[in-house]
Amino acid sequence: MSELSRDALLDIVRNVYERHDPVPDHLVAAMQAAAAFAASDLDLELMELVEHSTELVGARGSTSYTLRFVHGDTDLLLRIAVDNGRSRVDGWIVPAEPMTIRALPGEEPITHEAVVSDSGRFALTDLPVGLMRLRLEPHDGARPAFATPTFEI
Amino acid sequence: MTSSGGSRAGGDRSQARPEVRSDDVWVQATSGFNRWVAGEAAGLDDLVAVMTPVLWHVVRAYRLPDQAAEDVIQNTWLALVRRRAAIIDPVAVGGWLTTTARREAWRAAGAKTTPTPVEDDDLAQVLPRQRSAEDSAVEHDEGDRLWAAVDGLPERCRRLLRIVAFENRPDYRELATELGMPVGSIGPTRGRCLAKLRVALMQAGGI
Repeated sequence: MSELSRDALLDIVRNVYERHDPVPDHLVAAMQAAAAFAASDLDLELMELVEHSTELVGARGSTSYTLRFVHGDTDLLLRIAVDNGRSRVDGWIVPAEPMTIRALPGEEPITHEAVVSDSGRFALTDLPVGLMRLRLEPHDGARPAFATPTFEI
Repeated sequence: MTSSGGSRAGGDRSQARPEVRSDDVWVQATSGFNRWVAGEAAGLDDLVAVMTPVLWHVVRAYRLPDQAAEDVIQNTWLALVRRRAAIIDPVAVGGWLTTTARREAWRAAGAKTTPTPVEDDDLAQVLPRQRSAEDSAVEHDEGDRLWAAVDGLPERCRRLLRIVAFENRPDYRELATELGMPVGSIGPTRGRCLAKLRVALMQAGGI
């Protein structure tokens, strides 16, 4: 038996671990998504918060308030309602423009999304409470996506 | 990133490429990085695809559970995206990733200067062994002998060899800190670990 070279031994180590502790199936795709998402955020322009209404406390602990953001000519009004630990965001974009709105909750990696209607309205329902930001993606590919700063629901 | 353990890739596929340890991985990583920096989004996809498996093995050398290992790997990618400007030399991107992942894994593992106790290691190995029992009988025999030889090494050797096997010229200074040994003894220790493995393989008749 010939003596195994260093490289041959390291090949064995590699093969053994690839076999006995393989990369989980979903890992590469998940990391691609995470990296791509972080990268798409790099050049994202932030909207500016210009108004924050006082909270209205309703019955049984439900609350609602409004936020208003601007970016260039786009005005975004949000009405946020919290009930029973879940939240709902009703939005209105002026001027109305075809866009996809994605809610990016801090703790839940799954995104919630909605498409803006002809009248400029959209709704995101059954969102978690906590840190949140909205990413606005104009369907006009020539217009870059932009996002609200992170706000807390 | 919710699943932990369940279904996994690897197995026969990895077995089927014996000595392919090409330096391709590092070349491809650099190429992907360059294309990404030049504005091609697919470059980042390729970089992630080629380096994530390497990061997995490097991070798992620290005995982190699945989910913790995945978190470390994800943080490594986020760090790369945010700090890409800090990577002056694209050829070094693979090393930057493995070093970042190792540092984070070591921290996540509790930043112990001494390797984890043997009992934990033995427990951690029970699952993979059982899983391999589902493989075909032939591969089972051969694979088991090799696995037993590698797995029977002392913890320090297993960690060091796994890192060296998957990484391209790991940074010895950091490794020394993590393994709790002087930097000058990493090389000799690696040599001794390889010698132990050689003996274990011969005794097991695995080759």
